Amino acid sequence: MKLSRLFLLILSCFFFSLLLLQSCYSVRIRSEQGAYEPEAPLVREDYYRGMAVVELDTVISIGATSKDFTLLIKRSELCPSAKLHTIEYKNTLGSVLLSAVTFGRKRKVKIKYVCMKDNPN
Amino acid sequence: MARTTKLTLKKLDTLHNNGPFPLKILYKTKLEGSGVMPSKLDRYNDAANEIQRLIKETHNQNEGFRAYGSAWSMSNIAHQKDRMHFNAHMNLRSNFMDQDLHALSPYRADNIFMLQCGNTIKEVSEFLEEHGKSLKTTGASNGQTIAGCISTGVHGSALGVGSVQDYVVGINLIIGPDPGDIVYLERHTKPTLNDVFVQKMKARVIRNDGLFNAALVGLGAFGFIHGVVIEAQNIFLLKRYVKKIDKKVALQLAESMDFKNSSFKINGETDSNGKGKTPYHYKIFINQYSKDQSKCVVECIYKKPYVQSYPDPFPIIKESLYGDLINLVIKISQKFPKAIPAFVKMLEKSILPEVNEETTGTLAETFWDAPYQGPAFACSFGVDHKDSSKALELLAELTKSDGPIPGIFAMRFVKQSQATLSFAKFPTTCMIEIDGVLWEKSKKLIGLKEFSTLMIKTLKANGIPFTIHWGKCADWGFKSLVEYMYGDQATTWKTYRSALLSKPMQKLFSNGFLETTGLAKKEDEIPEDLIASLA
Repeated sequence: MKLSRLFLLILSCFFFSLLLLQSCYSVRIRSEQGAYEPEAPLVREDYYRGMAVVELDTVISIGATSKDFTLLIKRSELCPSAKLHTIEYKNTLGSVLLSAVTFGRKRKVKIKYVCMKDNPN
Repeated sequence: MARTTKLTLKKLDTLHNNGPFPLKILYKTKLEGSGVMPSKLDRYNDAANEIQRLIKETHNQNEGFRAYGSAWSMSNIAHQKDRMHFNAHMNLRSNFMDQDLHALSPYRADNIFMLQCGNTIKEVSEFLEEHGKSLKTTGASNGQTIAGCISTGVHGSALGVGSVQDYVVGINLIIGPDPGDIVYLERHTKPTLNDVFVQKMKARVIRNDGLFNAALVGLGAFGFIHGVVIEAQNIFLLKRYVKKIDKKVALQLAESMDFKNSSFKINGETDSNGKGKTPYHYKIFINQYSKDQSKCVVECIYKKPYVQSYPDPFPIIKESLYGDLINLVIKISQKFPKAIPAFVKMLEKSILPEVNEETTGTLAETFWDAPYQGPAFACSFGVDHKDSSKALELLAELTKSDGPIPGIFAMRFVKQSQATLSFAKFPTTCMIEIDGVLWEKSKKLIGLKEFSTLMIKTLKANGIPFTIHWGKCADWGFKSLVEYMYGDQATTWKTYRSALLSKPMQKLFSNGFLETTGLAKKEDEIPEDLIASLA
C-alpha cells in the first residue's frame, strides 16, 4: 500500500516536472523580407550570431483601467531603424503565475528582438 | 559628416568561429543622415572622405587597414592584425539614367546599379526587385556583402553565369588618403559610366581590362572597395528539384555537362524532342560514408519566366536544423571518431535537402537566409569539370583513409571568370567542397590543418590541376601553392597591384594571408602604361 502511494507520488512529481518544462517555451517570429541590423564585433554564439540583439527582461505594471499594454520599439544604437526583423518571446510558468496572482496587473516580459538594418536610401 | 566609432579590441572572429584573429582597432562608420545631407551622391562622397581620413590615421601609425563586411570568410583573408573597418552600414544603392552611361557602353541603363560596399546580397536583391530586376547569381545564400563577395570570388552553381564578380562592371576603390586616390575602374572594352558621372564621384577613371580583371577578385588588397557597379537582369523564377539518382549518371553529367543526352530527365524539363534541358544550377551531394554508394542526391534548378502568382516556397526553404544537435554529436565524435560516419548518416536527412522536394521562387527566395549553425568548416577545391569524378573519388577516399571527417561533399559548377585570380579558372569549374562542423584535433582524430594539407598533396600527386576558394579553409602556407594554382596569373595580379598602389599603401592594405600566400610581394618590373586608361 505504502509502495503504491510512493509510486503515485513519484509519478505525480514526474508529470508536474513535465508540465513545468512544457510551460517554459519560446516563440520566434522573423520577417521573410529585410536584412537584420548587424553586430560587430561578433559576440553571440547562438541563433542570433551576426545580429544586433536587444534583450528585455522586465515586469510591466498595468493600471486598473488599462486593457492592454504596448511596448514601443524606439530608435537606438542597436536598433537604428526602429523596425522589427525578428522577435522572440519566452513564456514561463512563473510569468503565467505572476499574471494570474496579480489579476493581470503585472506581466513578465522576456523578449529578444532584432531590428531591420537601417536603410539610408 | 559620416561618423566612425573606434573600438579597441584584442581579437576578432569570423561568423563561423574560424578564428579568433588578433586585432587592435575596429572602425565602424555610419553614413550622414539623409535629413542633413539629402543627396545620396553627397553622402557617398562624404563616406569616401571619412574612409580616407581613417586610412591617413592608420598610415600615420604605420599600421595596416582592411575592410570587412559579414565576416563569412573562413580563412584569414579578411583579417588585418592592426586595424579593420566594418563596412556593413555603408549601404547606399542607386540606379542610373541613360545620360549617365558611356557613349560606347554595351549595357542598358535600366540594368545598371551602383551599390556601396556594405550592401548585403539580400538588400541588393530586394532593391533590384523593386525595379523588376534580379542578380544573375549569388553564392547560394544572401548574407555576404557585395564587396566581400567579389573580393573572394563567391559563387553559386549557375552553369551559364559564373560567380558574383562576373556581373560587376565597375569598381570604385579608395587606394590612399590623397585626393587622387579615389579611382573608378572599368573594362576599356566594355565601358559603363561616362566621365561626367565619374567626376561626380570625385574619382579618377581608369578604363583598362587588365587592371579591372586583376582588381575584380582583389582579395582586399587593391584598396578599400567603396562601391561597385553591377549589371542586373530582368527578374526570373527558379524551379528547384531535389532527386536521388544513380551516382554514375550524376558524375557523368558532372564530367560531360551534357544534359541533352543523359538518361537523367525531369518531367516537364525536356525540350520538344524529349531531351533533357540544361539546368540553370546543378549540384551533387555525396555522403562518402554512406553504405549505398550507388545513389546520390542532386539539386537541379531551372530558370523560368517571372509570373506574379506561384506557390509559396518558404514552408520548404526555411526548414533547417539548428546546430546544437550537430555540435553535441561532434563533441562525442572527438572522443569516438569511429562514430562519425554513423552520425553523418544519421544526420543525412537534416544536412541534405529532402529528396523529391520541389519549390518555385525568385533567386532571392530560393537562396534565402542561412541561419548560423555553430562553428563550421568548409574546404573547397576548384577543378576542371572533366576531372571532377576523379578528384571527388580521391578526396572522398582520403576522408575514409585518414579521417573520418565530420562533413559531407558537394559539387557545384561555375562558368569561367575573367578575374585574374578567380578560382573559377577552368572553362567550367567544378567546386568540390566538403562542409561540416568545426572539430578539434585529438589523438584519435586528424586536425583540419593536416587534412587540408593532405587534400592538396593528394590532388598534386595525381596531377589534377586545381584552385582553392579564397574564403575557405586550406593550408594556405603550403609551399608554392599560389604559383601552382595560378602560374603567371599570380605575377600578373601582383604587377597590377604594384602599379596601382603606392608602396606605403601596398603595405597598409596587406595582411597575414597575403604574406602567407606570397601575394603581398611587390613587383618591381612594371611595364610602362600598364594601368593607363585606354578609353
